[in-house]
Amino acid sequence: MTTYQPMKNLVNEGERMKKRILVCDDEESIRLLLNESLQDTYEVVEAANGRDALRLATKEHFDLIIMDIKMPSVHGLEAIERIRQRSDNIPIVICSAYRAMEDDIIVKTSNVAAFLVKPIDIKALKAKIFELIGD
Amino acid sequence: MAYSKRGLHIASPSYIVALLYLLTNLVLYFIPETKFSRPVITFAVFLTDVVAISLAIYFTQGMQTDFYLIYFLIIFIASVGQNIRGSIFIAIVASVLYGWLLVRSNPGISILDSAILIRVPFLFIVSLISIYWATTMRRQLKSKQELEEFAHKLEDKVARITAKETELRRYSETVINSVASGVIAVKGDGTITTVNPEAARVLGTTQDNLVDRKIGTVQGLDTLWQKMKKAIDNNKPFERLQVSITNAEDKLVPLGLSVSPMTSSDARFTGCVAILRDLSEVKALEQKLKHAERLSYLGKMASWVAHEIRNPLTAIDGFSQLLTHTSDKEKMKTFSTEIHKGTMRINHIIEDILTFARTKTQVKSGAVNLSKLMKEITANISGAKIFMKGDEDRIVTGEDESLKSLFLNIIHNSIDAMDKDPKLVIEFRESNKWVVTEFTDNGKGISKDDLKNLFTPFFTTKSRGTGLGLAIVKKIVDDHNGKLEIDSEEGKGTTCRVFLPKARKS
Repeated sequence: MTTYQPMKNLVNEGERMKKRILVCDDEESIRLLLNESLQDTYEVVEAANGRDALRLATKEHFDLIIMDIKMPSVHGLEAIERIRQRSDNIPIVICSAYRAMEDDIIVKTSNVAAFLVKPIDIKALKAKIFELIGD
Repeated sequence: MAYSKRGLHIASPSYIVALLYLLTNLVLYFIPETKFSRPVITFAVFLTDVVAISLAIYFTQGMQTDFYLIYFLIIFIASVGQNIRGSIFIAIVASVLYGWLLVRSNPGISILDSAILIRVPFLFIVSLISIYWATTMRRQLKSKQELEEFAHKLEDKVARITAKETELRRYSETVINSVASGVIAVKGDGTITTVNPEAARVLGTTQDNLVDRKIGTVQGLDTLWQKMKKAIDNNKPFERLQVSITNAEDKLVPLGLSVSPMTSSDARFTGCVAILRDLSEVKALEQKLKHAERLSYLGKMASWVAHEIRNPLTAIDGFSQLLTHTSDKEKMKTFSTEIHKGTMRINHIIEDILTFARTKTQVKSGAVNLSKLMKEITANISGAKIFMKGDEDRIVTGEDESLKSLFLNIIHNSIDAMDKDPKLVIEFRESNKWVVTEFTDNGKGISKDDLKNLFTPFFTTKSRGTGLGLAIVKKIVDDHNGKLEIDSEEGKGTTCRVFLPKARKS
């Protein structure tokens, strides 16, 4: 019994040590999908628009951000730019349904880690995230 | 003594007189006219002549000399060349000089002597007769000249008027021929009087082929003649008509047409003039523009479809991947619900595209009871309190499926715009021509910038909007030959009025 105690603590500590990912997408289904796909390995926090994402990114610590581009209130690319003004090193993965030419320019200047076009392959997404931040 | 027996000697007084006479005449002749006027000079010449003859008579000493006759010659010439006063004066001078010579050579001669009594008055008689004759001649000459002058003037005037008339005709011909539009004028009976080159070109023939023909007998011009006849009969112009004709080259030409009746007091000029404008190029441009618009829509639509469909597709694909890796019943249920939601969303997008793409020809028209239709629609609507006013039978001409889609789109837009205490008032009204359906919500309203793009396809302010809703609304209203009005104030709400044509009572 006593041997289990520290083990349990260790597991709890391991859970506490889960890396945190901020998922920002205006589509509820997409947020749910990403949450369901990643929650086993990471702690997932959802934001429904760019403004919420900005607020959360300022207040809390995240290891990675997954961001949609076309969103109401604050547009994804604007949100990325403003996040970059504060933190230069947080990896950002864009996950968008459409890649326009003007997106590319901003992607290049904003140091985006990856641009995934929907529909995304869950396995590929997980692999990319693992490559960027481990687990 | 009739003549000097000695004849004429060089140094004789007669010779000197003759020489003097010649010299004075020459001098007088060469006096420039600028110094004295011509009558004065000729008067001086005649005066000199008279004096010279008197001297000649004096020196020849003979009352019987024939030099006396030369007086007549001078008086005669003077009266031809001079006016009355001049020649009478010459006659007086001549008679005085002659009288003096008579008296001097025959001292004591009586005034009643035949030499004085006959010869002196004779000078005056010759003078008067020749004056009379010269005046008459001069008058005749003058009137002849005047007549000739008048004839000349008349000729000039006629020539000028003819030239002017020709020029005017040429000018108006040039004007008509230079008009970029086609011009055709006909008499009341339809005989073509004027055609300009552009009209001939549009009609696919030549001007000569058309002039003097009856317009109704020219291929393709029967429609035009009907309009012209109507304009003549009603004495009323028609403007900006659009007709299509098949011209002499069997080409279908769309025409812009204005027809005006011609009226004048002279029946010869009554008729009608038509102005034709070839709209082929305009139509082609319109077609091109429409094509470009369609392409631009297509481009927008492609990116829009990519974006709109890939989101639910991501969900469907992702959840089906997750589904294979879970055995949790609850999760399985959630995932399959999400897959279903994604499919429904894609279907909704396809429906919208189809409605938007449907052409007007596919709209079948019939009588539709709007208030009944609205009750059916609102029965399944939740999300707002709906109040209906004036909902007795309101019958319009239209297609019920399209109208259903129209109203559903408006109602959903209103509901999406309302946050707290959503309230939608639907009111029906009627005017002579229209049935008006007015939707008033208490939502957030539309900003001025967004109002401009309200009907632009694929434009949306909603996160889940397709951007087609109001474009569809506009299209359906247009297809029904209706009108759409939207009033909105940000923060207060929006009123949307749909005008649909009232059904004709049969």
